[in-house]
Amino acid sequence: MKVALFVPCYIDQFYPQVGIATLQLLEKLGVTAHFPAQQTCCGQPLANSGCERDALPIYQHFVQTFQDYDYVVAPSGSCVYHVRKHFDKLDQTAAVQHVRGAAYDLIDFISTVLKVDTLPGAFPHKVGLHLSCHGQRGLHQANESEMTPVRDGQLRRLLASLDGIELTHLNRNDECCGFGGTFCVSEAGISARMGQDRVADHVLNGTQVLTGSDMSCLMHLEGIVRRAKMPIRVMHAAEILNGVVA
Amino acid sequence: MSASRDRILAAAQANKPDELPLPEVPLFGGDATAERFASVLAGIGGTVVWLEGLGSLVPTLQQLFPEARNTASPLFRGTVPVDAQTSTGILAEIDLAVLPGEIGVAENGAVWLPEANMLHRALPTITQHLALVLDHRRIVATMHQAYAQLPGTGGYGKFVAGPSKTADIEQSLVIGAHGARSLVVLLY
Amino acid sequence: MNHAIRADKFLLDADRTTWHDETLWFVREKRDKAVYGVPEFQELRELASQIKNHTLSRLDLYLQEFEAAAQANGVHVHWAADAAEHNAIILDIIRQQGATRVVKSKSMLTEECHLNPYLIQHGIEVVDTDLGERIIQFRDEAPSHIVLPAIHLKKEDVGDTFHTHLGTTKGESDPQRLTEAARQHLRAKFLAGQVAISGVNFAIAETGGVVVCTNEGNADLGVNLAQVHIAAMGIEKIIPRLTDLGVFTRLLARSATGQPVTTYTSHFTKPAPGKEMHIVIVDNGRTQQLGRPDFRASLKCIRCGACMNTCPVYRRSGGHSYDFTVPGPIGAILSPNIDMKKHASLPFASTLCGSCTDVCPVKIDIHTQLYKWRQVLGEANEIPASKKWGMKFMGRVLASTRVYGLGGQFARRALRLLPHGLTHATSFNAWAVARELPAPPKQSFREWYAKQPQPAPQPQPKLPA
Ligand code: SF4
Repeated sequence: MKVALFVPCYIDQFYPQVGIATLQLLEKLGVTAHFPAQQTCCGQPLANSGCERDALPIYQHFVQTFQDYDYVVAPSGSCVYHVRKHFDKLDQTAAVQHVRGAAYDLIDFISTVLKVDTLPGAFPHKVGLHLSCHGQRGLHQANESEMTPVRDGQLRRLLASLDGIELTHLNRNDECCGFGGTFCVSEAGISARMGQDRVADHVLNGTQVLTGSDMSCLMHLEGIVRRAKMPIRVMHAAEILNGVVA
Repeated sequence: MSASRDRILAAAQANKPDELPLPEVPLFGGDATAERFASVLAGIGGTVVWLEGLGSLVPTLQQLFPEARNTASPLFRGTVPVDAQTSTGILAEIDLAVLPGEIGVAENGAVWLPEANMLHRALPTITQHLALVLDHRRIVATMHQAYAQLPGTGGYGKFVAGPSKTADIEQSLVIGAHGARSLVVLLY
Repeated sequence: MNHAIRADKFLLDADRTTWHDETLWFVREKRDKAVYGVPEFQELRELASQIKNHTLSRLDLYLQEFEAAAQANGVHVHWAADAAEHNAIILDIIRQQGATRVVKSKSMLTEECHLNPYLIQHGIEVVDTDLGERIIQFRDEAPSHIVLPAIHLKKEDVGDTFHTHLGTTKGESDPQRLTEAARQHLRAKFLAGQVAISGVNFAIAETGGVVVCTNEGNADLGVNLAQVHIAAMGIEKIIPRLTDLGVFTRLLARSATGQPVTTYTSHFTKPAPGKEMHIVIVDNGRTQQLGRPDFRASLKCIRCGACMNTCPVYRRSGGHSYDFTVPGPIGAILSPNIDMKKHASLPFASTLCGSCTDVCPVKIDIHTQLYKWRQVLGEANEIPASKKWGMKFMGRVLASTRVYGLGGQFARRALRLLPHGLTHATSFNAWAVARELPAPPKQSFREWYAKQPQPAPQPQPKLPA
């Protein structure tokens, strides 16, 4: 199994520890992932801003970079969703189709491909799980409150399997955090307010560690937590899981 | 006018997608009991009262609405005779209308009321209080069964589910917006 | 003025924003409870979607079937290509009656066509009889929600308005008593109404009848007391069969407010003897939307408002921030079809979270359409130039590994070196309004990776020549 690691630009530059944790966690689960150095971006920031045409060369570059791997794993469901859903704009060559199908969010890869949904290890903290919309509603990695009252999902199961962990019961289990890519600056007021409300739900219900599988939402929420100097630690799920698994 | 008609139809024809199939709608059965009907109706502000046969209709109404002075009904001699020609002024004074319902819907507490049972089209909404008399064997599970059983909708007819209500001020529920302030379904 | 600027105004009153958000979230929760209670709900959504898709694919035929059936029922059918014609037809019918007093129940179409000001200008008294509509009519405001038109107001606001217009006690803000005052006031209007205008929720091709769903009973009261009923409908209100209503009536109220069904589901098929019924069928841009394959699904909308109640942006920015008759996610995909320039910011007023798509009872792919409108707007140069050129630049950078590496390193160094005050100055960086920037690490992931012992042979990626 040839697995490539896709590290989105903002993780590469600002959260290298998340890329490292992803790589190490996969290694512990028996998968050696490679990091093709010529990778750049999935093109989502441009496309979501209405510049899909300008993103096409980026899509092509992405496909060329990853076409020879069986799987492309990223600690960011949003990028994966973009590759799967919006690379339909490219000519659907065998390589394009392959890469679209091969792209996986890290947690989805662990659950669906590696078929792991429990992990040995302890994390004795109260953990608030942030469900990122693209992973949840886009990639169906978790149940949606629009459909069912049952709160279930891939990451929830993995986390729940850890010893000593307590998962926060949020008032709003899956409301968007307001990051939204360029939305976070073009609609800065609403974006901030959404993020503040999301964090407030965690504070109200006792979250000590706020986690999720999409670093972009977490970057936004962490920015709010730090600005308001709240006693909450924000960690990508890869960091938690990599930390507990021996 | 007909120029617009032709233009709209031509544009709709030119711009519509290739034909897509019309699905068959299953009937989706379910609980069709009077108990479900009653509890759903209670949840939307209505009440169910059981009659021991139609003979007990009038005494039951006297118990339920002791203060109703102006009553209208095709089922017994009310104090105000109403028909399709009755004037607005008279209709506006009615306290209680007692009308036969045709079909009850257990999933939502609605009762089908056809024009033929209304005396006047405005009566069921202009009356201060409304009582619908329904044979409990005519309760069906869902709207699918209800529509399947309707022979047609006549000139006018409606499903009535509970009393008139609104929540337009701060989402606070207020019973008695413009139509009947209360709704009781008398089952027999 | 764009959506973000109007939203910022709304956000200024933080407590009211909280209240607005929580009130609509409560409606969303009621919707959830009602939906969970129907095991076949998702199946019903799929059926509704298919019925609507089918109808759109035969729209011209169903419209004609509907017209013929309605005429056979003794109903006058009129066709209006646009808002102006719609208004003129309605005024004409009113004048033919020699009438001056009109009662109107809720109709988003007449809002869209700005019927009220038109009729008033021509000497007709128009009274909106839905409570929420009446409140905003007194205040001379537009509805801020399609189902809950006055949801932007608190009871104290309504109390003030009623004190001014209905003479209720100053400071009275009890919803029960305010509603009672409106009931008395509107009864008089109903009794005096000569012509009643209603909207249409569903128009049944098979029977030629129209269905109007209300909780208050105002449509029934108005129509059945007046001499003439005028029902105004967009061409997309058609459904093929009476029994299709089984599907739609089960979805509509549950999605809208969490009720199992609206209080009144009224079928108007023939005029009462001696009275008149008119139906005005309106296009006003709808056939154009039908011709846009990416956007035609927006015509499936049954105006339940669920996408507004669930939208985290709408709940915090209020309906007026959209500056369009239909606000919220669905408004953001309908409005550019009407005026792309004016409404260019609306498709960007979304995080594309997708919740709207998942609550929509007729399965409109709302968030995908938002994404697609962004592309149309981008191609039409309707996005801010700075954004566009920034994106073009990024496109070139990100398509090239070498330039990209430099850019990222530069940004990271700059972050580390620039003092907090400069990178966080709000004019300089909208991010910093409420958020800290990430603390820049010493090395990037790729720098770290390059220093690791390299794993076994990697596939040789093919790079462009
Ligand atoms: S788009 Fe869907 S959810 Fe929104 S109002 Fe229309 S039918 Fe309801």
